[in-house]
Amino acid sequence: MEAKPTSYYLAPALLVLGTGLAVANWYLRPQRAVVWGTVLLLLGGMTLALLLVRHRSGDEAAGRHGADSVRSGIVFAGLTIAFSLSVKLATTLGAAAHSDLSQRVTMTLLGAFLVLTGNVIPKTLTPLSALACDPARLQALQRFAGWTWVLTGLAVAVAWLVLPLRLAEPISFVLLPGAILLIVVQLFRFRYARQRPA
Amino acid sequence: MNRVFKALSDPSRRRVLQLLRQRPMSAGELADHFPVSKPTMSAHFSVLQEAGLIEAEKTGRTIVYRLKMSVLEDALLGFADTLGWKMKAAGDTRHLAANGRPKPRPLKGEV
Repeated sequence: MEAKPTSYYLAPALLVLGTGLAVANWYLRPQRAVVWGTVLLLLGGMTLALLLVRHRSGDEAAGRHGADSVRSGIVFAGLTIAFSLSVKLATTLGAAAHSDLSQRVTMTLLGAFLVLTGNVIPKTLTPLSALACDPARLQALQRFAGWTWVLTGLAVAVAWLVLPLRLAEPISFVLLPGAILLIVVQLFRFRYARQRPA
Repeated sequence: MNRVFKALSDPSRRRVLQLLRQRPMSAGELADHFPVSKPTMSAHFSVLQEAGLIEAEKTGRTIVYRLKMSVLEDALLGFADTLGWKMKAAGDTRHLAANGRPKPRPLKGEV
């Protein structure tokens, strides 16, 4: 029997944990019902997605790979939500003094997510036979996008870990759109070069 | 990850990866850059493929090799080049030259 990936068990566990934490937060701070309700809706959507991939992934490799990707995304999102809700709960109960901890943890996790996703961008290959462009240029674009994403993620994570909030906020709000803009510009240059006659 | 370190420990394999950074190349094009026999080159390609650093694709009658490195592996290649890693490379290269294939991995429990 094939071993299940860790995300197979971790994803539903994190969804249950997140739901429990959201309900506990709602009970202790009912004045912020809209926030907790939104979180619960989000968790419900993630549960639905998890159930769908469980039924539709099938036995073929492509289906399994797709299901694994969805589960990994749910694990990451579930981890972020659970962490954030735990800190909110701890702050409400007086166990945690820093009210900015939740924001710091969330943004650091976002940085880590960028690092993880950027890391695999150059590893995603399209078969040469299916390519309608210069493979060398596509490879250069993928490497550029991967490196940009990873470095931006690292910078965001480090900024939210070590810098004061008044600095971390503007830095990440410059870095993230800047990285996206850089990649989009490269993408347009790539497309323009592809369309230009040789 | 062990396979990646092993693959990056050899200067010839690192050179292959550097060449593939420019563009995908056929086995013949890559072999032209090295003064070694074809079986030895083929063994180097196998080690790189096993480590998941390159991908081979058959187009017509030629095999085209492409880079398949994550950003972390790319950074490791940069470090290896800068620091000149030679972990076990000498022994591996001797084995490659003598047999035309990489040293077999020991089985579980075998020393």
